[in-house]
Amino acid sequence: MNDKVLEDTLAADSIGADAALAASGDASAFERLYRTHVNRIHSLVRRMLDADEADDLTQDVFVRAWEKLSTFRGESAFGTWLHRLAVNVVLGRRKTLGVERGRFQTGEDPLEGVSAKRHTPELSMDFEEALANLPDGARQVFVLHDVEGYRHEEIGRMLGIVPGTSKSQLHHARMALRRYLDR
Amino acid sequence: MNDQWTDRLSEYVDDELANGERTALEAHLATCAACRATVEDLRKVVARARALDDSAPKANLWPGVAKRIGAGKVVDIRSRRFSFNVPQLIAASIALMLLSGGGAWLALKPPQIASDGPFTPAPSQGQLQATWTGKTDAAIADLQNVFDRNKSRLDTSTVRVVQQAFTTIDRAIAEARTALQADPSDAYLNLHLADTMRRKLELLRRVNALATAQS
Amino acid sequence: MLTMLTAAVLASLAPVQGETDTTIAVPAGASLSVNNFGGAIVVHAWTQNRVKIHAEHGSRGAIEASLVGNTLILKASSRHGAPSVVDFDITVPQTMALTLSGTYTEIEVDGVRGAITAETVDGSIDVRGGSGIVTLHSVQGSVTLADATGRIEVNSINEDVELSNISGQINAETTNGSVSLWGIKSASVEATTINGDVEYEGTITDGGTYTFNSHNGDIKISVPENANVTLTVATANGDIDASFQLPFRGTREKHRYTFKLGSGSARMEAESFQGDIELRRPSEMQMHHKDKDKDKEHEEN
Repeated sequence: MNDKVLEDTLAADSIGADAALAASGDASAFERLYRTHVNRIHSLVRRMLDADEADDLTQDVFVRAWEKLSTFRGESAFGTWLHRLAVNVVLGRRKTLGVERGRFQTGEDPLEGVSAKRHTPELSMDFEEALANLPDGARQVFVLHDVEGYRHEEIGRMLGIVPGTSKSQLHHARMALRRYLDR
Repeated sequence: MNDQWTDRLSEYVDDELANGERTALEAHLATCAACRATVEDLRKVVARARALDDSAPKANLWPGVAKRIGAGKVVDIRSRRFSFNVPQLIAASIALMLLSGGGAWLALKPPQIASDGPFTPAPSQGQLQATWTGKTDAAIADLQNVFDRNKSRLDTSTVRVVQQAFTTIDRAIAEARTALQADPSDAYLNLHLADTMRRKLELLRRVNALATAQS
Repeated sequence: MLTMLTAAVLASLAPVQGETDTTIAVPAGASLSVNNFGGAIVVHAWTQNRVKIHAEHGSRGAIEASLVGNTLILKASSRHGAPSVVDFDITVPQTMALTLSGTYTEIEVDGVRGAITAETVDGSIDVRGGSGIVTLHSVQGSVTLADATGRIEVNSINEDVELSNISGQINAETTNGSVSLWGIKSASVEATTINGDVEYEGTITDGGTYTFNSHNGDIKISVPENANVTLTVATANGDIDASFQLPFRGTREKHRYTFKLGSGSARMEAESFQGDIELRRPSEMQMHHKDKDKDKEHEEN
């Protein structure tokens, strides 16, 4: 077995051990899991919602994970389980904010005429900022599909839309983002 | 520029078109530079999405989490039900060992957490093993003492048989420990040692029950 | 309802040479409990609603019988304090539930179709039949069970455990002996030993869980061609040998390998610290088994 695979396996084993310890109440094991996964979760949350809410929601995700750790069955990697939980927390938040399904626009260029919302004084936005400025529906589909790797059927179930809508939203997002590739 | 194929280009890039459609689209691409350019752009967007790095939150969010989960308090293991599929993980095995049968039960007390300091590094795997075998060794020693006090109630041939079984298990435990020392982070070896120690605990409980029944 | 069958009734039936022969009518659905410190408990079945008791106990021994609730309780006792050896031969209604216990006691049951619990310390247990809950424990004695269905828990400490033609949930364990399971139909099997081999020939049903563990012994498992199972094999010092192609698409850690056969629906673990793990097709297992039987016959002749 080559070294990288062995390393990954050892890492996976030790994270798995931490998950077991955390499930039995060991908070410092949980802190290690937090350190390992916080960047990924925070980035996911930030891209799905926005930077303002990302900090609070990231904490919500980890608190929920702690509470639900007893249901983690060790069948998938801990990271996968945590990721799914984060997506659920984000989508749950969408609902409590009263977001209707009609937010999925089908207009021309979703980013036309939109200037950077924050931070960047110049007219040009970089890729991540352009992503943040997409309409919610298109952005979430794009993040779930292209960044996080979910499939349209799953995304449809999660967002409450048909896969066809998911596909067309994805296409719109990609078409809008292609102008911001090189920044 | 839009033509009838533009909206299908993402599906093409994701390889989601049915055979007939894909062939037709490829035929179109051969003649349409604009569409070819768009396909190229779409592929770049996907690649860029996949290459997005995860970045750390600007603030340290752990203290907020720690406070909400009540870190630092002693947690009653019994109130947290957990089950893992085999291959099981070390702590689950230990907790099960110590809980099933009500012998030596210890709450896993989480160590104190510094609220703003650098995070506690994971104990080296060697330390981790020492922690959990230490507790299990104590449980085994307790039950062994009970057995030694009670074994006079059993007749000698039963005691002999039981000692034989202990010897077998002890040897298995020693072999498992030796292997584990050479390879402390190996999940299978940890598990195997945990399992074998659990067998010893169970055997001790069973013979103790046997001895106390012979009155 | 508490009915005491007076000792007088039994004593009057005991001939001088130290035997008891009696037949007791029992209510339908009654169960039997026998406690015999040393000797044998042999149980057969018939279709009558009566319990026939034959016991050889010598002149010092005696049998106490009582009916408590719905349970007929037979206890071997001794007139002079030191326990005596009693050999029981009991015939019971086919569906009677049995609880049989002793210390230096051999236990044999044949043809009963109810729940069976048998415990002994120094003595073998040999059961053919049983349904519902079947629990057999010996310390120094082999345990054999055949033709049973239900929730099966069988263990020895210093001897072999052998199960054949069983359907249901199975837990079979010993410390210094082998565990062999043949002709099994089950979706939940656990077979463990420390110093001995483990053999399994039986179904691998979708969604089932199967765990086979040894420290020093080999593990041999029959894997049918169309089995759907996620199989994890682990050994620290042994070899892994399969009669068929194991799909490469699996995960590999240092001592542990996971393979997915078919849909991977069932989960199976085969782990031996020092021993080998063999995965065979049913036809190979059966052929080998027949050869072993032939060898055994040779030895006994």
